[in-house]
Amino acid sequence: MPRPASRPLRVTANVVGVIAFVIAAFPVYWMVNSSFLDRNEIRNPVPTWVPFGGDLDNFRTVFEGDQFLNAMKISLMVTLLTIVVALAFAFIASVALSRFRFRGRMSFIVTLLIIQMIPVEGLFISQYKMLETMNLLNTVVGLSLVYVSLVLPFTIWTLRGFVTGVPYELEEAAMMDGCSRTQAFFRITFPLLAPGLVATGVFGFIQAWNEFSLALIVMTREDHRTLPLWLSTFTDVNRGTDWGGIMAGSTLIAVPVIIFFLVVQGRMVSGLTSGAVKG
Amino acid sequence: MRIKKPLRNAAAVAAIATMAVASLAACGSDSSDGDASSDGPKTADIRVWLNGTDTPQEARDWLKKTFEDENPGSTLTIEQQEWDGLVEKLTTSLSSESETPDVVEIGNTQAPTFTSAGAFSDMTDQLDSLGGDDLLQGFVDGATVDGATYAVPYYAGSKYVFYRKDLFKAAGITAVPTTMDEFIDDAVKLKQANPKPANFSGFWFPGQDWRNGAAFIWDAGGDLATADGDQWSGALESPESIAGLETAQKLFTEASGAAKDGNEADSWTPFCAGEIGMVSAPGWIKGLILDPKTGCPDTYGKQIGVFALPGTDGQPAPVLLGGSDIAIAAKSANQELAQKAVALMLSKDYQTIMAKAGLTPALNSLAPLLGDDEFAAATIAAASNAKLTPAAPGWANVEGSRVLEDLFSGLAQGGDPAELAAKADEQMNEQING
Amino acid sequence: MTDQIVGKPPRARRTPLPYLLLVPAAVALVVALGYPLVRQVILSFQDYGLAQQFGKPPEWVGVDNYRDLVTDPYLWRVTLRSLVFCLVNAVATMVIGVGLALLMRHMAKGVRLLLQTGLLLAWAMPVVASLTVWQWLFDTNYGVINYALTKLGFDFEGHPWLLQPLSFFFVATVIVVWMSVPFVAFTVYAALTQVPEELMESAEIDGAGAVGRLRHIVFPAVRPVLLVVALLQVIWDLRVFTQIYILQQAGGSTRDTNLLGTYIYRLGIGGGKFGMAAAVAIFMLALTVLLTAPYVRSMLKQERED
Repeated sequence: MPRPASRPLRVTANVVGVIAFVIAAFPVYWMVNSSFLDRNEIRNPVPTWVPFGGDLDNFRTVFEGDQFLNAMKISLMVTLLTIVVALAFAFIASVALSRFRFRGRMSFIVTLLIIQMIPVEGLFISQYKMLETMNLLNTVVGLSLVYVSLVLPFTIWTLRGFVTGVPYELEEAAMMDGCSRTQAFFRITFPLLAPGLVATGVFGFIQAWNEFSLALIVMTREDHRTLPLWLSTFTDVNRGTDWGGIMAGSTLIAVPVIIFFLVVQGRMVSGLTSGAVKG
Repeated sequence: MRIKKPLRNAAAVAAIATMAVASLAACGSDSSDGDASSDGPKTADIRVWLNGTDTPQEARDWLKKTFEDENPGSTLTIEQQEWDGLVEKLTTSLSSESETPDVVEIGNTQAPTFTSAGAFSDMTDQLDSLGGDDLLQGFVDGATVDGATYAVPYYAGSKYVFYRKDLFKAAGITAVPTTMDEFIDDAVKLKQANPKPANFSGFWFPGQDWRNGAAFIWDAGGDLATADGDQWSGALESPESIAGLETAQKLFTEASGAAKDGNEADSWTPFCAGEIGMVSAPGWIKGLILDPKTGCPDTYGKQIGVFALPGTDGQPAPVLLGGSDIAIAAKSANQELAQKAVALMLSKDYQTIMAKAGLTPALNSLAPLLGDDEFAAATIAAASNAKLTPAAPGWANVEGSRVLEDLFSGLAQGGDPAELAAKADEQMNEQING
Repeated sequence: MTDQIVGKPPRARRTPLPYLLLVPAAVALVVALGYPLVRQVILSFQDYGLAQQFGKPPEWVGVDNYRDLVTDPYLWRVTLRSLVFCLVNAVATMVIGVGLALLMRHMAKGVRLLLQTGLLLAWAMPVVASLTVWQWLFDTNYGVINYALTKLGFDFEGHPWLLQPLSFFFVATVIVVWMSVPFVAFTVYAALTQVPEELMESAEIDGAGAVGRLRHIVFPAVRPVLLVVALLQVIWDLRVFTQIYILQQAGGSTRDTNLLGTYIYRLGIGGGKFGMAAAVAIFMLALTVLLTAPYVRSMLKQERED
C-alpha cells in the first residue's frame, strides 16, 4: 500500500470513489430491481424504486425447463476453454516478446496490433465458412477457437506490458542471491504478473461470457445455446419482450462473472504477498 | 505454493496440446446424428425452424406427432429461433450443407431477399396440392421470382385499432368511425377532450411508426414505391402520397402524444397508463392488456373496444400485412420429407390450431375459424384489404437503412411533407433496385 | 524449461526459443483468422451478395466497391462524425478510468472495495441488459432521469433525449464511457499495484512530490499498459456499433446519427451486400491504421530504445 497520502487527497479520493460507485452501480441496481417486478411495474410513468412487494415470478420463468442450466454449462465450457488457452498462449508469447530480442519481433508486434484493428463485425460469414470446413459448427471447441482469436492479441499486448513493467534488475538481484534464472523468473517476476493475468483473465472471461453475434451463427442448435443466446429468447418482437425475464436472466448471468472475479482477486492478493519482493 | 506454479503451467500447456489434437481429430469424423445419404432419402430427422413464440405449443406437438406417425423411421425436430438476428442466421446456416435446417419460417417481408438469392427450393409444382388459389395470394406473389414460387404463406396478421370505450363516451363519440375522415376527427376530438396527461394520445402514433403510417399513404391513393418494368423508384413525392403524409402529420401534431422519435414497441404500456384513446396494434396485445402481470385488466382493460382502421371509401383501409412464410432450404438433403412437413403445416388441422390462437390462417377458406367475436371480425376486416411492402429486390436495404423511420419521425417533428418525401425518395432510389 | 527462458533483454542471442514461444499464439491466430481475413480482402473486389452466398459464382469488379464508397459524400460525413465521437469517448474514458485507478490507491479500503465491486458489476452486466436499462433511464415518457429531474424542479417532462443528434451522441457517450471505464480502471489499477513499493518509497525519500512522483515514477512504470489500453479505446470507439444501433431504434434520426459501425451494417449486412461491406471494413482498417500510426510509431521507437 502506498504511503499515507495527504488528508485532502484521501477525502477527495473517498468522495469520488463513492460517487463513481453510485454511477457505476445504479444501472445494475435497476436491473436487479426490475427482475423482481411485474412487467407493468417495470414500464410505468411512476418508477418503482425498490422491489418491495415484488416477487420471484421472473426467476421462476428463468428456471422453467433445463434451458438455463444447459446454457450455463455451455457458456462455462466455452469461456473457461477460451481464457485458459488464451492466457497460456499469451503468457509465453509475451515472455518471448519482452524478455528476448530476435529478428521478426517488431513485425510480430505490429501484426498483432493490426489484427486488433480489424473490424471483426464483418468477418462472421467467412468465419462461419471456416468453421464449417473444419466441422466445428455447433461445437464448444469451434466457438472457443474464434473467441481465442478475438482476445489473444489484446491479451498478449497487455501481458507484454506487464512483463516489461517488471524491472529486470529485480531478477538480477535474485540471481545474485543464488537463484537460477528460471527460479528468479518464477519467484520474482511471475508473482508480479498476477495482477496482469487477473486483469486480462477477467477481460477474456467477460468478452467470451457476453459475446452474442458469433455465438448466434455458430451455435444454432437449441442444446448448444450460450447464455446470451438463451437470454435473447426472452425478446420477441412479435409478442412483446418479457423484460422481467430478461432482467432476472441477466442478473443470474452476471453472478458467475462476479464469482470468477472474487476467486481470482483472492489469488491476486495472495500472489502479491507471496512474492519474494518483500522478503 | 510457489514451487507448484511452473508445474501448473506445464499442465496447462499439456491440456491445450491435448485439446488441439482433439479438435483436429474432430475434423476427420462426422459426429452428426443420422447419416442421411447412406440411409437413402427415406428416413431422416427433419429440422424445422420456427421463430419466436407465435406458433402455439399445441400446433408444434401435433406437427411432430403426425409427421412421425406418417413417416415411420423419420423424426421431426422443431428448433425455436428468435426473430432478432434471424437474417444473419439464415444467411449462414442456409448456405451450409451440414448445418442447414430443412424447413424454415421467415417473415413475409424478409422472404423476397432470400427467394431471389436461391436459398430456397422451388415449390411451384406443389402449390396446387398445398391449396392453390386458396393460399393468401399476396404472400405467394411476394415469394415468386420469374414465375417460380419459393415460399408459401404460414400465417398472416394485420394491426387493427384498439380504443377505450369510456373515453369515446366521455368525448361524445357515439359510434366507432366508419371512414378515414371520421377516424381523424375522433382522434383529434379525443386528444382535445383529455388535456391531461400532457402526453395523452387520441391516436397513439410514435414518430418511427411507418408501418402504421403506410396505411395513410395507401388510403390516399399513393404508394411507397412503384415499378416501371424492372426499375423500381420511390413514389412518396406523388401528390397522392403527399396527401397521405399530410394526414399522418395531422395525426402526429394534433392527436398523438407519443414520443416524436419513438418506436411502436410496448404500446400496451401507455394504454395501461391511461394515456391512449386509440392505438393501432397487433391482436395479441389484448392478451397482454388483460394479464394482471403485464397489463391492467381491472381498469382500462375493461374498456377495450376494437375496429379495423376505416378507409376513405368506408371500406377497411389498406393496412400493412404482416405474417410469415414457410420455405424449404435448397441445401436440405431431405427435400421430399421436408415437402411432407410443409404440407402438414398447411393442412386444415394444423391451420385450425393456428386460427384458434388468433393468427389469420394461410388459407382464405379457413378464415371463419378465427371465430365471430369483435376481435375476430376486426382481424378479418383488417386483413381483407391489407397490402404488402413493395416487392422490389432492394426493399430489405431500404428498410435496413431506416429511410422510412426517418421520414415519419421528420413528419412528427413538423417537417415539410413534400421536402421530406423528396429526400426519402432520393435515398430509396439509391437502394431499392438492389 | 531451461534457464534460457529468461534471457536478459539487451543481449541478443541466437536461440530458437522465442520463436517456439510464439508458435502457439501464431498458430491460433492464423487458424482462426487467416482464412476469414484473406477471404475478406477478396470479397472487397467482388460483387458478392446473398445470391453468391448460396452458390452463384461471384463476379470480379476490381475497385468498383471502393470507388462507390469513396465517391459517396455521405461516407465522409459519417467518417468525420465517427472520428470526433471516437476521440471524445476515448479521451473521456481514459481520463475517468486512469483517474479512478490512481485515486483507488488513496481510498479507504472499504471505499475501494465498494468502487471495485461497482465497476465489476457494471462490467459484468450483460450487454442486452445494460443497453435496455440505459434506454429506460433516458426514455422520453417513462425515463427515470426525466422523472427525477422533473421532481427536482426542472422542466424535463417528456424531454426527448435522442431527438437532436448532439443530445443523442451525449447519451451514447454516457453509455459507451460507462461500459468502458471499468476495463480501463481495473487494468491500470492492476498495473499500478505492480509498481514495486521500493520504487515509490525511494521516490519518497528523494522528496518527489505527488505530481512529480506520478510523472517520473508511476507513469513510466505503467506506460506500456497505459499505451495499450489507450490504443484499444481508440480502436473500439472508432468502430462502436451496438450502442448506436440500439439507440437508433429507440429514437433520433438514423441518417444524422450513423457512425461507421452502423453504416457498414446497414450498407452491407443489412442489405446483403457483402462485397461492399468488406470494402468498408478494409477502409475502416486503413483509417484506424492511419489514425493510430503516429502513436504506434512513437510507441515502437520507444521500444527500440529500451
